[in-house]
Amino acid sequence: MTFLIQQTLLYAVPLMIVALAGVFAERSGIINLALEGIMIFGAFIGVLFVRSMQGVAVFVNAASSGKWLTLQGLELLAMLVSAIMGAVFSLLLSFASVNLKADQTIGGTALNLMAPALVLFLIRIIANQNTLQMATGDAASWFMIKKSTFGIPKSTNLGFFGETFLHKVYLATYVCILIFVVLSIVLYKTRFGLRLRSCGENPQAADSLGINVYRMRYTGTTISGALAGMGGFVYALTTTNCTANGDVAGFGFLALAVMIFGNWKPLNIAGASLLFGLFKCIAAAYTSIDINGDGVYLLAQIGISSPLYRMLPYLVTLAVLAFTSSKSRAPKAEGIPYDKGSR
Amino acid sequence: MKKIIALLLALVMVMGLVACGEKAPEATEAATEAATEAATEAATEAATEAATDAESEATPEAAADPADAIPDEMTSSDGKYQVAFITDVGQLKDKSFNQGTYDGVKLYAANAGKSYKYYQPAGGDQSTDDDRYAAMKLAAENGAEVVVCAGFMQGNALAKAAAEFTDVKFVFIDGWAMGMPNLAGICFQEEQCGYLAGYAAVKDGYTKLGFSGGGGGNNAACNRYGWGFVQGADAAAREMGVQVEMKYSWLYGSSFQASNELQTMAAGWYQNGTEVIFACGGTMFASISAAASAEDAAVIGVDVDQSFESPTVITSAMKGIGEAAFQALTAAETEDGWKALVGEGNDTIVLGAAQNAVGLPVATWSLTGWTVEEYEAMLADIVAGKIEINADDVPEPASTDNVNVIIIK
Repeated sequence: MTFLIQQTLLYAVPLMIVALAGVFAERSGIINLALEGIMIFGAFIGVLFVRSMQGVAVFVNAASSGKWLTLQGLELLAMLVSAIMGAVFSLLLSFASVNLKADQTIGGTALNLMAPALVLFLIRIIANQNTLQMATGDAASWFMIKKSTFGIPKSTNLGFFGETFLHKVYLATYVCILIFVVLSIVLYKTRFGLRLRSCGENPQAADSLGINVYRMRYTGTTISGALAGMGGFVYALTTTNCTANGDVAGFGFLALAVMIFGNWKPLNIAGASLLFGLFKCIAAAYTSIDINGDGVYLLAQIGISSPLYRMLPYLVTLAVLAFTSSKSRAPKAEGIPYDKGSR
Repeated sequence: MKKIIALLLALVMVMGLVACGEKAPEATEAATEAATEAATEAATEAATEAATDAESEATPEAAADPADAIPDEMTSSDGKYQVAFITDVGQLKDKSFNQGTYDGVKLYAANAGKSYKYYQPAGGDQSTDDDRYAAMKLAAENGAEVVVCAGFMQGNALAKAAAEFTDVKFVFIDGWAMGMPNLAGICFQEEQCGYLAGYAAVKDGYTKLGFSGGGGGNNAACNRYGWGFVQGADAAAREMGVQVEMKYSWLYGSSFQASNELQTMAAGWYQNGTEVIFACGGTMFASISAAASAEDAAVIGVDVDQSFESPTVITSAMKGIGEAAFQALTAAETEDGWKALVGEGNDTIVLGAAQNAVGLPVATWSLTGWTVEEYEAMLADIVAGKIEINADDVPEPASTDNVNVIIIK
């Protein structure tokens, strides 16, 4: 059970935060199809940052002497850097869709095509191959929080809660959940949030009340870019051992799907991400999942072949989308470039 | 106004790319200059060492360290590259098969003062025979005298290239001879080092093992590693009278790449009590070792001594790929040397314990339940034929009396 929860969280959290990134852009009226591209870019920047910081004496010493607080600081710093660069990258989209009034779908697709190409190009220059790895060690030994981090012997039982949420976890996961909660509140309970959402529903009305629609849309897309960039790095850190290879396994597009079947609402999105994460985890590790702890690996024994398990997360996404999409309601003005003159 | 801004933005992006593009060659040039000096020195030392130690010590290690000082890319003055290396699927810097072989190539080239270059067939994991042939053709057209090709998947492309470019010599690592005088096929007895690794793990007190291999069960070298691993574990378990459980999987490794699924699967194994996993396949090592270090568990490396990559590595099943490339390239310098290498019957060159080409890393020994002396005694027994190891291509080994093999697919 512990294993299932932990692995589910690893997959669900990047998905959740990137889906929220999509919400921020779409609620302000811009369709952000570029989530995948921004994630790829963010993952690359974060890994590159970690890689270069591994040469700095402070962090080298911290890693060898077990000063885990410094390393967690490095992790947060890398998240921040990838968020900033993700935001910068997303400016291309906002510029094209707000200032140039270009078709947002095409702009986003262009970024999706550009990001992996650019990232692979740079990785080849830096590393002579198409995967950028950490300079030394692996993500788990540098950044993971486990019992040995606090000097607790491995045999000590911390109870269900401790074993699940304090052992073998990444700080990034919790930071993301925190950011998710805070930003959801911002979006629904603050004046800024209301204004942002109004720009996605009826920008003309918002403008007539003195809200600068262009600025709001820029803000929405920039927050979106920052979240997606950070989500990309968190994905790379927690699930692919802090490597970047111009690919995030389609998580950006999945986040779009999650956003749609979460009906553009944070709570539903969290639920949808957990559902997908759960099935993704089952797909990869069904042979060693022991649900009630009795030593019987039920999923492995019912004789379903592994390709079917691996299809599950996508089949579930498809099925849920099919049932929920008729009820879902997109922000009304999304995708329509705002023109002050039109009524 | 908007157009001007758009134009400027586009310019900034283009300039950015140009700047990035230019930085690299400069950097590599500087690096090449700086490194060639260091490298030639290091290489000469290493080579002399290798030459002197070749008979007494385990040869695979000789090539490991100094090669890192030699840059991966060099620019030759006449645009020709005398020694070429074609990578297998997976990364050049996989810290395993490709890198190990290329280290041997670089070491030789730096030592002999020859120009060298590596080629990665287009298409990444999905490279086709055409992609590989194109890479070989390019190498030949770039003036290669010897082309080293790593990985058995290059077979079809090599058959075509070697027949076409008859004045170029081809060295086929992990391959086989094809009856062509310009092609030397070299393969290894992976079952022997797999056996030693399995034996070592069980002797060291591990009873729950795992094997995660690359190539999806179709790669003969990986199959031999795995089958040897099972036999070695079985032999040790019988001696000690213990029961060993082994999870055995080819999942997620068909392209030898690290992946989040593989990491999750390995994490699941470790979570359920698996103590050590034999990560048999290039870059896959990254996923397994990440899962292992989360659990403070152990990993067995492959092809080269991987203990430098992660503290989780207890030992590595090594084969002397770099050394074999080095020797083959040296032999290719003269026609007589090449003839001696390829041999009268033009048979596949099989390297094993008898040639000191497979084994475990003695210099970084960390096992406590099994000593270096015992290891060396066993190695001698294998050479003498006292221990027989089945070398068949068995993708899915059956359970033995003492080893319960659980195939996961």
